[in-house]
Amino acid sequence: MKSTRFEDLPLEEQDWIDAYVDGTITEEAFSKLQERLLRSPGLRSVMRRSLSLRHELQNLGATGDTSADSWLHAASEQDNVISVTGTTFTRWLPIAAAAGLAFLLGLTFTGLRTHPIEEARLTPVPTETEEHIAEGFAVVKNLIDAEWPEQSDPRQQGDTLGAEVFRLKRGLAEIQFFCGASMTVQGPAEIALRSAWEATCREGAVRVQVPPAARGFKLHGPSTEIVDLGTEFGLSVRDGKAHVEVFDGEIEFRHLSEAARLAKRGSAWGLPANGHATPSDLGEVIFPDVRNFTLQARAQRHTDFELWQSHRDALARDPRLIAYYTFERDDANDLIANVAQPRNPEFDGAVVLAETTDGRWPGRKQALEFRRPGSRVRVRIPGEFSAFTFMCWARIDSLDRRYNALFMGDGYETGEPHWQIRDDGSLMLSVMVDDTRPNPFKADDAGFHRVYFSPPIWDRSMAGQWMHLTSVFDPANRQVSHFVNGRRVSRMEIVDEYLIKSLRIGNGEIGNWGQPFRESPWFAIRNLNGRIDELAILNAALSDDEVGALHSRSRAGRH
Amino acid sequence: MDDNRNPTASEDARYELFVERFARNEAALRRFAGSMLPSWSDVDEVVQRTAIAIWRKFDQFDPDTDFMKWACVITRFEVLAYRRKMARDRLVFREDVMELMAEEGADEIDHRRLEHDALETCLAAMSEKERRLLTLAYTPGVKITELAEEAGSTAAAFYMRLKRLRRRLMTCMEGKTLEPEPVP
Repeated sequence: MKSTRFEDLPLEEQDWIDAYVDGTITEEAFSKLQERLLRSPGLRSVMRRSLSLRHELQNLGATGDTSADSWLHAASEQDNVISVTGTTFTRWLPIAAAAGLAFLLGLTFTGLRTHPIEEARLTPVPTETEEHIAEGFAVVKNLIDAEWPEQSDPRQQGDTLGAEVFRLKRGLAEIQFFCGASMTVQGPAEIALRSAWEATCREGAVRVQVPPAARGFKLHGPSTEIVDLGTEFGLSVRDGKAHVEVFDGEIEFRHLSEAARLAKRGSAWGLPANGHATPSDLGEVIFPDVRNFTLQARAQRHTDFELWQSHRDALARDPRLIAYYTFERDDANDLIANVAQPRNPEFDGAVVLAETTDGRWPGRKQALEFRRPGSRVRVRIPGEFSAFTFMCWARIDSLDRRYNALFMGDGYETGEPHWQIRDDGSLMLSVMVDDTRPNPFKADDAGFHRVYFSPPIWDRSMAGQWMHLTSVFDPANRQVSHFVNGRRVSRMEIVDEYLIKSLRIGNGEIGNWGQPFRESPWFAIRNLNGRIDELAILNAALSDDEVGALHSRSRAGRH
Repeated sequence: MDDNRNPTASEDARYELFVERFARNEAALRRFAGSMLPSWSDVDEVVQRTAIAIWRKFDQFDPDTDFMKWACVITRFEVLAYRRKMARDRLVFREDVMELMAEEGADEIDHRRLEHDALETCLAAMSEKERRLLTLAYTPGVKITELAEEAGSTAAAFYMRLKRLRRRLMTCMEGKTLEPEPVP
């Protein structure tokens, strides 16, 4: 049997197969796929294998000899659905799916009897431990005046990239591969990333720098494969026609079916889609200038920081602020200032163990790191409030604790908030409704309250990235909303029973929860393994638009 | 074809032979059809029609010859007939593509069987959670977008996760069934 493997296929063919198998392929891609199928026996053979694999999995799902099957049966009995025979399947499949899903979320079976999905979100449940695998093999190191095509997600500095197509409409981007190679891309460009060692330039001009450790890095043009032998070179692709220049060191390239060639420093080659590779003149194409790029990037960071400073000064005057911390700290004392105007030093925070470190603009902006289990910032904020908006810039390195604190009321007494992140990456906001009534979800846990969870918003691939997190507790409109980077990710209703209008903070802390005022045989460790460099608490429920605007004004990067 | 008839077999014996041969090869026929058709229900439909067609023509079948080979010709015919009927479905292959797929697919029957066995080993090497996710996502009738929404994930993230799992299975399966690549 001729052995074309899935991974041997060009990246776009791999993408087409995936999309076809998932049923998400576009009309246009499907027609290209069919053209290619007609010509390529290898593609046909992988296509059959892929479809057959899906068919096998569907067979398992339907007739199931995996243990998921027992869940299907259990669910059907419980709900008095006709027993499983042949074609009656589809009638109870959604229930089966819910049952299986609840299991995936780590829910116990009893929890399923009422409202499986809702319960899963409302009640903290232990999640299965499994080995964590970070996704991606490259990172967006720098961006200058980057603009993005309409259909693609805007990228931010620090984003992790995996096997995907990186599209840039205008501007410059520097991508660093985990093998050590770095690629500066000039838009408009379309780069397909294959692995830490391999990429394809479909369109655009790139400059690749390969340190000794990354020798062997492969870059494909439309009809050419270039292997970098430790060097710096440029490749430009416009309308299928490519041009390569070697700035330093040497490369090996293979064009169409021609023999491999070595190209040394100072040489250039034209690489037409259907013709021979021919020597060409240097300087025919203008490649992105890396040195200039670094300077520009530095200048932009400088500008961004100044923009942020003016944002900070404007926000500090917002009368709805309860407190606002930007974590700039004198070496001389262990306090961080509440910078809300008019200045109220009563609300300054006391730093315990948390370490001062770089914030979003290294060397310019400070942050506090709460890595050590005892790290925290203690605050005391008396008063009564009618709503809460919590907003911060945080850089999470890992979610080590079951619950990882952002801002926590000490005693969790009536009216006091808990703002934190669960280990599965869900944002949580709750306010104690009545600390004298039992918790309806957990008999041994005092306190009538409800936790409002967002879907998971963090996973390991985001470790070390700065994120803007906002959660709003809005009794007047009876809703709790969570936002990430200015976009709302969830909204839940506050039902009558759990409505509380008079809110308080009192003693509390940033980045941990220690319950120092309660006698308790155990003490929870909820320190956040990460940094916070800005935190605002407002006595108001900010609207979606306001959150979006505040994020734009305070983010890293112009907007 | 009349020469191949077995005039001595009673209707009952003939039926028994059909059931025996068909049951023994149904899975392989399903895999064959499954390697060309866009969905599980299409496969169901085609295999059902094939079963009927095989039964109708069963008196032309010579019990001393390869049933699978004979059944494949009929399955292929049924797949193409089904394709013409479903031609407007946006995921159905064009006639010329489908013909090639069917022709080559018929030669891969044994290979599909190897893959089927390899898949078992490959699935066993995955974690329980990953297996459940895959089985669940591919349960016919389940909508990925709904699953994703209920799991609190975006459809895109869910598809991405599925894609990774599927690719891992694919690599594992190919590693066990294809000849090793020559060393460069």
